[in-house]
Amino acid sequence: MTELLVEIENLKKYFPLTGGVFRKVVGKVHAVDDVSLDIREGETVGIVGESGCGKTTLGRTVLRLLNPTDGKIHFQGRDITELKGTALREIRRQMQIVFQDPMASLDPRVTIKNSVGEPLIVNKIARGPLLRNKVLELLQAVGLNEDHLNRFPHEFSGGQRQRICIARALALNPKFVVMDEPTSSTDVSVQAQTLNLMKDLQKDFKLTYMFISHNLSVVKHMSDRIAVMYLGKILELTPYDIFKTSKHPYTFALVSAVPVPDPRFAGRAQILKGEVPSPINPPTGCRFHPRCIFAQEKCKLEEPELRDVGDGHLVACHFAGELDFGKSAQMEYAQAVSSS
Amino acid sequence: MTEDFALKVEGLVTNFYTYEGVVLALAGVDLFLRRGDTMGIVGETGCGKSVTARSILRLVEPPGRIEQGSITFFDRDRETNEIAPIEILDLEEAEMMDIRGNKIAIVFQDPATFPNPVFRIGTQIAEVIMLHQDLGRAALEVKIEELEVNLDKTEGDRRNKIEEKIEHYKSQLDTPPEPDDNDKKAAAWKLAIDMLKLVKMPAPEQVISQYPHELSGGMRQRALIAMALSCNPAILICDEATTALDVTVQAQVLNLLNELKSEIGTSIMIITHDLGVVAETCNWVNVMYAGNTVETAATEEIFETPMHPYTMGLLVAVPKLHETKERLDQIRGSVPNLITPPTGCRFHPRCDFVTEICKNDRPRLRELKPGHWVACHNPQGGS
Repeated sequence: MTELLVEIENLKKYFPLTGGVFRKVVGKVHAVDDVSLDIREGETVGIVGESGCGKTTLGRTVLRLLNPTDGKIHFQGRDITELKGTALREIRRQMQIVFQDPMASLDPRVTIKNSVGEPLIVNKIARGPLLRNKVLELLQAVGLNEDHLNRFPHEFSGGQRQRICIARALALNPKFVVMDEPTSSTDVSVQAQTLNLMKDLQKDFKLTYMFISHNLSVVKHMSDRIAVMYLGKILELTPYDIFKTSKHPYTFALVSAVPVPDPRFAGRAQILKGEVPSPINPPTGCRFHPRCIFAQEKCKLEEPELRDVGDGHLVACHFAGELDFGKSAQMEYAQAVSSS
Repeated sequence: MTEDFALKVEGLVTNFYTYEGVVLALAGVDLFLRRGDTMGIVGETGCGKSVTARSILRLVEPPGRIEQGSITFFDRDRETNEIAPIEILDLEEAEMMDIRGNKIAIVFQDPATFPNPVFRIGTQIAEVIMLHQDLGRAALEVKIEELEVNLDKTEGDRRNKIEEKIEHYKSQLDTPPEPDDNDKKAAAWKLAIDMLKLVKMPAPEQVISQYPHELSGGMRQRALIAMALSCNPAILICDEATTALDVTVQAQVLNLLNELKSEIGTSIMIITHDLGVVAETCNWVNVMYAGNTVETAATEEIFETPMHPYTMGLLVAVPKLHETKERLDQIRGSVPNLITPPTGCRFHPRCDFVTEICKNDRPRLRELKPGHWVACHNPQGGS
């Protein structure tokens, strides 16, 4: 077994809700609620879930961009939950993030050379001609060239901008990179290029990824293990093919809600009732029970533990392994494809 | 041709005059929508999908301008079933108002920005209904209904009076008088509740007096669809209507569209970049690239035997849930700048099958197989 890079223990992040004249705290948003997750060196852990499930908050809290309400984060065996000042800055060299919207994360008035070079200057690694060479190396690694050095963000296409953001994240030679929806604002053909690039870089730079996305197919393509989040909790963590071996009813519903790219299987998606409840007052017991077709009395009262059902496949469901989901359109489609 | 079209667009050219130059957004778009069909328009950002939709409704705003082409809307009279072709680009603005929202309706992409945040949902739906529909009969029906409720509560002399009144209104049903504003509002409000019921909105009586921020994304999208359908349009255009939604909610909305289509017989045009959405809902597909229609055929045909290299690339570039692949097959390069688009075929700099003729001559849309049109000099024989 390879070494653990990041260990997250019972991590919680609540955002206070204020109200009234004196901005009193009247409630809290349970964005991340008791999440434990280990990330091994060199692997990609995918985090998938609907909007508002806390996947982005989890990514940011792990990097200490947000301070956790409770719980511990270990990076390379060292507790970084309470780090401050210089020590925190030191550790941040090792962990970087690529955000969703590349246009918003690049300063429109700064050239690409300076944007990508800034982390090197701040950390006093390179200056002058050395800096230029370093930046050029980085740009070449992501498929851009010398002509691009002195251009501004608006002169690039969306896909190229995302490459620039990736180059900047790699400037300090980090070990761990959080990819927060890196391709959700790009087009299909460009998305394929970006995903391929990220896989290549992972090999070349020996990176560990936390890959956050709402797109199941993309997460599945990129990840070694996938965590499915719902209302701030991990409901399933699977090292297997999420689409074949899901054991949680929510995961199954998510998978079968993805439209099948084949008209012969149209209109067979299993439709989940209702919408995601508010994370301010999450449902009691199992958080998924109001939408679950298998819900029983026990689900309303007791919160299921995330338990191992074999080989590191964790499921938080009282009836994990006992439920028969039937066949999704996705599965029938896969069978049809493999048999033809 | 004797086919029953609802809409036909030929050689549509729309340009945008910006400081940086003229953006040649649409360079001769051809498409047609058969009555009762659901057609998907697929393509990447900037390929002109939304501009096409806006051009059809004449909603292109300056600096944009529709330069040439024809958009023919085949208006079918609801009673006589007679079909009258209307050339949309020749209409006066006042005549266009009668079509926009009434006969051709559109649902926009982002449900968070579209409904006006300072008006109640009901007010906004009722506005559309009051603007376009003759509410005489509906207003009378509302009055009769109210009186009938009262009838059960009263007795004696007053009861007889109410009965008389009901009879009076009922006799007017076939030739209703012009209702006053209050009656109109009451009738429109009631129709709005019916529309919300049609789109399966939970608790429509409450939702109707709520503001948009009180609803979730999926509910807002339902409200928008209700608004678009409230005048029983002949054509419904959904411009990326499910893109901002989560997968589970998207599945609900797509399912709703499929059901509505069979219920009310509207022709639907779905604009999307998601091929899965197309496969799920459409029976005809129109693939666009950089302001041109590059391929159009029945959905099964496109998915099984794509002939244009761009369509083929698009189909394999999407990661699929059921397969495990080390690398995705990508289309090289990126979408061209439409101020200086490539000469000839606009796809040629990214195409694997490019030949000399592609660089100079723009391919026209040709029917290569019955029911399968492709704009390519080197179509690939459906492999």
